[in-house]
Amino acid sequence: MATLTVTQNFGKGAADISVYRSLGGYASLGPRLFDLSQFELIDLVTRSGLRGRGGAGFPTGMKWSFVPRNTPKPVYLVVNADEGEPGTFKDHVLMLEDPHRLIEGMIACGWALGVRTAYIYVRGEFLKAIETLNAALKQAYEAGILGENILGSGYSLDIYVHRGAGAYICGEETALINSLEGYKGQPRLKPPFPAVSGAWASPTCVNNVETLMALPWILEHGPAAYSALGTPKSGGTKVFSVSGDVKRPGVYEIPLGTPLLEFLESPEWCQGVLGTLKGVIPGGSSSPVLTAEESAKANMDYESLASLKSMLGSGAVIAFNDTRSAVGMLASLTRFYAHESCGQCTPCREGTGYADRILKAIVRGEGRDGDLDTMLDLAANFSYTTICPLAIADAWPIENFIGKFRSEFDALLASNAGHADSRVTSDFRPGAFW
Amino acid sequence: MSNSYNWPVLPTSDSKLVTIVVDGVEAQVPEGTNLVEALKTIGIETPHFCYHPDLPVAGNCRQCMVETEGPRGMALSIACYTPVRAGMKVATDKSSDKVRTARKAVMEFQLANHPLDCPICDKAGECTLQENYMAADRQPSRMREEIGKRYKGSPDHRHLDSKGQDRGGKHVDLGPAVVLDEERCILCDRCVRFMRDVAGSEQLYIASRGDHSFISTFPDQPLDHEYDLNVTDVCPVGALTGKHFRFQQRVWLLGKTETVDPTDGLGANITVEHHDGHAWRIMPRRNPEVNKSWIANSSRLAYLRLSEDRLTAGLFGRSEVPLAQAVSRLGELVRGARKVALVASGHLTLEDNAALLAWAQILGPRAEVFGGSWLWVGSPDGIARSGDPVPNRNGLKLLGIPDSLDELRARVGEFDVLVVVGNDLWTANASKAASLEKIPERIALSSWSDATVQASTLAIGIRAWAEVRGTMVNVAGRIQLLNAAPILPSPDLEPAWQVLSAAGKLGWTSELDAFRFAQSRIPSLVGLTYRTIGPQGRNLAGAAT
Repeated sequence: MATLTVTQNFGKGAADISVYRSLGGYASLGPRLFDLSQFELIDLVTRSGLRGRGGAGFPTGMKWSFVPRNTPKPVYLVVNADEGEPGTFKDHVLMLEDPHRLIEGMIACGWALGVRTAYIYVRGEFLKAIETLNAALKQAYEAGILGENILGSGYSLDIYVHRGAGAYICGEETALINSLEGYKGQPRLKPPFPAVSGAWASPTCVNNVETLMALPWILEHGPAAYSALGTPKSGGTKVFSVSGDVKRPGVYEIPLGTPLLEFLESPEWCQGVLGTLKGVIPGGSSSPVLTAEESAKANMDYESLASLKSMLGSGAVIAFNDTRSAVGMLASLTRFYAHESCGQCTPCREGTGYADRILKAIVRGEGRDGDLDTMLDLAANFSYTTICPLAIADAWPIENFIGKFRSEFDALLASNAGHADSRVTSDFRPGAFW
Repeated sequence: MSNSYNWPVLPTSDSKLVTIVVDGVEAQVPEGTNLVEALKTIGIETPHFCYHPDLPVAGNCRQCMVETEGPRGMALSIACYTPVRAGMKVATDKSSDKVRTARKAVMEFQLANHPLDCPICDKAGECTLQENYMAADRQPSRMREEIGKRYKGSPDHRHLDSKGQDRGGKHVDLGPAVVLDEERCILCDRCVRFMRDVAGSEQLYIASRGDHSFISTFPDQPLDHEYDLNVTDVCPVGALTGKHFRFQQRVWLLGKTETVDPTDGLGANITVEHHDGHAWRIMPRRNPEVNKSWIANSSRLAYLRLSEDRLTAGLFGRSEVPLAQAVSRLGELVRGARKVALVASGHLTLEDNAALLAWAQILGPRAEVFGGSWLWVGSPDGIARSGDPVPNRNGLKLLGIPDSLDELRARVGEFDVLVVVGNDLWTANASKAASLEKIPERIALSSWSDATVQASTLAIGIRAWAEVRGTMVNVAGRIQLLNAAPILPSPDLEPAWQVLSAAGKLGWTSELDAFRFAQSRIPSLVGLTYRTIGPQGRNLAGAAT
């Protein structure tokens, strides 16, 4: 049984504070935390090798170190619980199963950054999680763990749950901050970065749920023990949400560096693939898809997946077998990104929809030769030309699905009798302006 | 989403110049300004849609991309949000394939869902989309029928054409002044930012998201603001149009005459646009020190009055007489008078009022000059209006004409002839003006058949503000130039200074004679010419109120 740092309380009813405490919860809220200076705590997190679990994998200690000290403005902590990437559902389960661990992690982060007010920005659809969090916060306030002077430490922290309105883009930290402020959830121009000027133009630290939930374990066992769990460059464990064609989909915590196929086949975790594995999306819908051969080479850590030109992302593993159509999978992904583009930057706003409509035409059997090249061209053109990476998150699946499963796309194109016709139809209708 | 604190840093006359390398060539540009503005100072235009020098930077159109040197080598960045730093390396479309490709790509995306209806679009001819297409793209469309466009529009306004094709939101009535054609919108966000950050009344927003988003007012709320027509100017495409100009003229037919807003003491810089002898619209003319890029709706619609109710001949009693006859009658009446009261006007130029002073000088103690206005004075709105309805009040002050209408009223028995030049006293305050009717001969020079003309014994038509060349001094003491548009309602009309010159036998042949006379009275005008005043005006020392 692998060491668990985040999910050890699953299935034990830890949403109740007495259960959580009996399992050793809130033990850090004493000398273990409050004897550390801000500097020592940030240094401890840096040494643990903890990286942001939301998708980008940015080192957490470094992110904290960007937040200015002794500013006249308040420092805000915002927990990103706007889990919206297709295939990702770990934060939802984490909040349902162990909300007090999140609160304990938030207190640790708040202590490190001098936060007085913190927000948990929860995806609007997670009604049950919001209820669970609010119940847990109520219990924590009643127990003196939140509010003024936490357990006599002199440190005070208030936490509010903010319910999002259901937009994928609000997982981008500046869009999340805009949404939190009551504006439309659209990413901001950077600089300034949130660490300097975030919520209400004040220094703001945005962290993922899972990142903060790892802190109590790190405080208890020390940074060396945490980083020892993973690979030298990817410290600790990671929670994965597995879906698709596996025998036991679900949320699993494994040490970073575990081989992908071992994870899928292990009786302890996914218990094997249904049918013949065709490919795996290793880190949420935007991460480049791996073929079965590539999957055999992949280890579940940041570096191994990067070497395969994919990414660990949010840890959403979607495995699919050879009965699944690559065209259909890509079509549902492009539809998602066209629907979720916030509409701010031109390339993403118009490009994701354009690519989606081309693919829809291909799926309807109206594709023509050159359509795939147009799609690849569009994907290249809307990558790296926008404010946030949503367009890239659409471009990667397009490039990789077409690149790695091109024969399926070509077969569908060939099924259109007129696939070689010239691009513009001859029966041009007067009155149709384009 | 644009942040309201992202106001662009613009070059000023005292900006520090630093050296940067543009396309491999060293250039001196103002430090700290954004690259769009900096490159403009060295003659490089950067195409853009969403950037506007008088609005916060939104950075959403992505058309202005250039390559700048970053930590990982040359990389694309948007020129409108990249500040100039000394020594930075910039590559524009002249030297960078990446920039050319990116701009071309953005152009394709902009046009992907944009209707190709230029022939029926009011913006054609002054459309940023057309201009940037010619500059950056000029490639045929890759779009074909099976793929289809997704025209923008609210679900409530979608319009099916005669072929049953969804054409997006056509002709959405936003309020009293503005119409929105949603399907032409490229979501640059300028109108939203104008209403929020300049007008200070957030009446527009972008609803929904992605390529299905559209500009909208808030539910059941109209777009109704004294400055709302400015959104039709900042709109880079034909999505927002003003009802007053919609389908009136093709813009490439319009001649443009640069002049100054005659309805307010700030003297917002405007362009009167005319064709075929008519003024068709007024557009704001950018002047960072006066009105930025904005004008109020009432200033913009001032052209409508140029063709309404004009006085194009002389009126003697109730009967119309030729202008020349009326002018000589004016001269006779004044010369034969025991004592004449000459009323100057802040609605006319320095030149017109100079002619009045010159005539008074000839008449000597038999004439006295009065000035001022009975119009109600409001307060500045902080955008493009001072609240003072008299545009040249400061000019009168500089000429030494006192604010003395009430004094005239008190001493009305001393005069037997009253000459009111372009000052509609009877409309401004009928009850006060009524006491002036004790003067037996009342002569009015006016562009319109207004209440003062009705109360006069002799009236003479003169040219209106858009038809004369001259100068006015605004509330901030800035002298600005008016130019004459070729839109005379009658070819016989003369400017007020010329009528006065003829009646008073001043012998002036052009407005320059009048300007020279004004210079003799106003020391701070000495050395200035119309050319040095220029289209942007000049601040006069010590002339601010």
